[in-house]
Amino acid sequence: MPEIIIDGRAVTVADGVTVAAALMSEGIRSWRTTRIAGNPRGVFCGMGVCFDCLVTLNGEPNVRACITPVEPGDVIDSQQGTGHDGGVS
Amino acid sequence: MNDANPRRAFDAIVIGAGVVGACCAHYLIEAGLQVAIIDRGSVASGTTGAGEGNILVSDKGPGPELDLALLSRRLWFELIDVIGDRAELEPKGGVVIAHDGATLTRLREFAEVQRAAGVETHDVDPMQLRELEPHINPQIPGGVHYPQDMQTQPMLAAAHLIARGVQSGRLSRMTDTEVTEITRDESGRVTGVRTLSDVISAPIVVNAAGTWGGQVAALAGVDLPILPRRGFLLVTEPLPITVHHKVYAADYVANVASDSEGLETSAVIEGTRGGTILIGSSRERVGFDATLDWSIVQRLAAQAVEVFPMLAGVQLLRTYGGFRPYCPDHLPVVGADARVPGLMHACGHEGAGVGLAAATGYLIAQAVTGRPLDLSLEPFAPVRFDSTPERVGAHA
Amino acid sequence: MSGDPLDATERDVVVVGAGAAGMSAAYAAARAGCTVTIIDANPVAGGQYHRRRIDAATYRPRGCDDEAVWRRIHIESATTVYAVEIIDHGTQRIFGVRTRGDDRHRRDVDLVRARRLIIATGAYDRPLPVPGWDLPGVMTGGGAQALIKGSGVLPGNRVVVAGTGPFLLAVAQAILEAGGSVAAVVEANDPVALRRHRSALTNVGKAGELARFITSLTRHRVPYLRRHRVTRVHGDTTVTGVTLARVDASWHATPGTDRFIEADTLTLGYGFTAQTDLPAQLGCTLQVSADEGLAVTVDDDQATSVTGVYAAGESTGVGGVDLAGIEGLLAGAAVARSLDHPSPLRDEPALRRSRDRMRAFADALATAFPLRSGWRDDLEDDTVVCRCEEVPAGRIRNAITELGAHDARTVKLLTRAGMGWCQGRVCSLAVDRLCPRSATLDGQARAATRPVAIPVPLGAVADINLQSRRES
Repeated sequence: MPEIIIDGRAVTVADGVTVAAALMSEGIRSWRTTRIAGNPRGVFCGMGVCFDCLVTLNGEPNVRACITPVEPGDVIDSQQGTGHDGGVS
Repeated sequence: MNDANPRRAFDAIVIGAGVVGACCAHYLIEAGLQVAIIDRGSVASGTTGAGEGNILVSDKGPGPELDLALLSRRLWFELIDVIGDRAELEPKGGVVIAHDGATLTRLREFAEVQRAAGVETHDVDPMQLRELEPHINPQIPGGVHYPQDMQTQPMLAAAHLIARGVQSGRLSRMTDTEVTEITRDESGRVTGVRTLSDVISAPIVVNAAGTWGGQVAALAGVDLPILPRRGFLLVTEPLPITVHHKVYAADYVANVASDSEGLETSAVIEGTRGGTILIGSSRERVGFDATLDWSIVQRLAAQAVEVFPMLAGVQLLRTYGGFRPYCPDHLPVVGADARVPGLMHACGHEGAGVGLAAATGYLIAQAVTGRPLDLSLEPFAPVRFDSTPERVGAHA
Repeated sequence: MSGDPLDATERDVVVVGAGAAGMSAAYAAARAGCTVTIIDANPVAGGQYHRRRIDAATYRPRGCDDEAVWRRIHIESATTVYAVEIIDHGTQRIFGVRTRGDDRHRRDVDLVRARRLIIATGAYDRPLPVPGWDLPGVMTGGGAQALIKGSGVLPGNRVVVAGTGPFLLAVAQAILEAGGSVAAVVEANDPVALRRHRSALTNVGKAGELARFITSLTRHRVPYLRRHRVTRVHGDTTVTGVTLARVDASWHATPGTDRFIEADTLTLGYGFTAQTDLPAQLGCTLQVSADEGLAVTVDDDQATSVTGVYAAGESTGVGGVDLAGIEGLLAGAAVARSLDHPSPLRDEPALRRSRDRMRAFADALATAFPLRSGWRDDLEDDTVVCRCEEVPAGRIRNAITELGAHDARTVKLLTRAGMGWCQGRVCSLAVDRLCPRSATLDGQARAATRPVAIPVPLGAVADINLQSRRES
């Protein structure tokens, strides 16, 4: 059972789940706000097509939570706007 | 599809609803004419919908095109007063960079000549470059800042100009309407156009068909040597504002002026209001083949990353391509066609159509109404390529 | 990644997609003696229907059980094809397949060379916009199913399953089986018409499955509301309920039939969109299929209009997992024959007959659950249509009425609808159907033109090792 960090909080999630499933099993339904209206978004298509579920994973923004499997030690952060708002590196 | 307008007789018909056609229609109705704008596709569906929206002076050396560009730049501010902020005009300025000392010397010599011709230019060293563009590669030895360069969203500019004309009641918008013939009377004078389903009359027909201007000219029986010069643009994921100016490499100017048929690329990088970064530019003469060539994408990406290293981790979201209307001497065709009375051309602007559109429409309206011209149209004369005998009447 | 890009391995066949179609195709081609690589975006093979947890048993399609054959097949999982191109146009046609790793490894790019391509990229859900559909808690039916099958996580506590088609029943069933609660299944059409197809249903072995779904709904006391639509989603930061209305045959809501249902999750799905990005990049002929969406045109051998490119499964028209498997076998066999290998299939004529029968049934099913236009009534001016670029319906309507846009491409240029991350995969159907000139093959094909099928970092694209064209 991998241990990961979600928005600074350490949690243990089930084996073999996606980042989106890990977030949802923690009761989190939204982990991104849109860049224009700042509206909350979470899983929509669930299969990598719609890019609504973008999340920052280990510092890398705009990762599709729905098709990315969790790995032990992952640091998952919710993201705002373009995901690059802290600056492009 | 036509707007509900039963009118079939006009003072002028503009063929082509791109940004040049829109500007022609705008200035013609401002001059008091009743106008129809016809396009076989939709508004801005040709090269206008495939460009970056450049309004540039930086890439032009002294001469008729620069004069046209400077006039056009002034007129664009008037157009924006008319349609408001909806065309997303950004007077953000351009920065031209040189990758080595020799190129920098040539670039600064070029800028000095431009300055004498009325272009505002400022030489910038690496430190000033980083003030203008904080993310730029610090190894770039310097460049020139051109505060007058601007960008607009050309599809919106064209669509809003046309929409405003329609609302004024002086412009009829006829899209999805293909012109099959430019009709003439026995004397060879233009009488209007025939479309797939209609006959529309007007004593003046303006050919603003861009890359397809040669085909439209042929509908009146005359030749115009306009060829497609293909270009691709890369579009990144949306970012916060990271690239502040239109930034391009000095070899761009040489490539624009080149007569080569082969592939030429040079780094052109700029942000948009939508947040995406546009990366160009490629030029090649391969007819109307729109298939994406990944070796071009690779080159454009590599050149862009060289100028802005932070782009390496930024994702390419999509690409689009289009066909610039290219004339052998790289000048547009603007003005009356001496071979066919009543036929005006406003096409062949290559990659500068958005920038030159305002002045093109303005001068076309002056020519149509017989007013004195702000700028001589002689360098842009349609017959300048014509070595063949007059062909009027050949298809009459 | 498969080897050094400078010395890229050339395979007889690259199969894109490891669902039922792709896996069957790869098996058939490999069994006949071809060298085969399968490239699939997911961490484990199986596709959408056979989506499974990473630690689950390996997926094998029906009739593909010789493990010696599988050992010869190279499966490149967690790898996405972002572009395909023809590298060599000669008689020895060579395709370049450009790949990148999953989102964790998206800088890992590669160029795989192949003599034949089999496109088995499947399909994705086809949602339609409704006020509030951008709230967290609204997802596609396939998305809900993927959460359950792939991660064992329920999409919510109380789910309304809405849209049209038999897939709604499958989604509800998956939720119920996983211990979830379904508030209602909301079907816009009246599938009474299905009864006409009862013999066909029996013929293709689908009658039992549907009956099982219906029984399950009854046992769990889940209402199956036909001729109903969700016309509004309520909630502030997440879904708190939906408004339903009874609709007529064109899906226009009947006044006075509104009803609120409490729920924390809504799934939407009005059929599926075939994934046609790669064949479109190659210039393969597309067609409008029975469900009014696009599909790759294929011949009796599953060959597309571009020599050397074959397609199987949902990308050739949505038809279900069994059809996809058979199409895959036939595509794999045809590719093997084109490379001078004997057919690996024992009774190809029988397979072709099954395929044709199942395809005819799929088309009949699609016409029993048609796409109507009444959903457009729901859209308010501020209802988001393009979720990526947050383009509201009002701006799209304005582009049409004021700016003279008649088709989806012009609306896109004037509003940015379809220009965002998903490149119109989610909204292009709705945008198209809001336009006066809609549902044309040309218009839909243009909207589905995506030269970059999946975003890829510029630094990776710039990698000189991936050069496919010799510079002159």
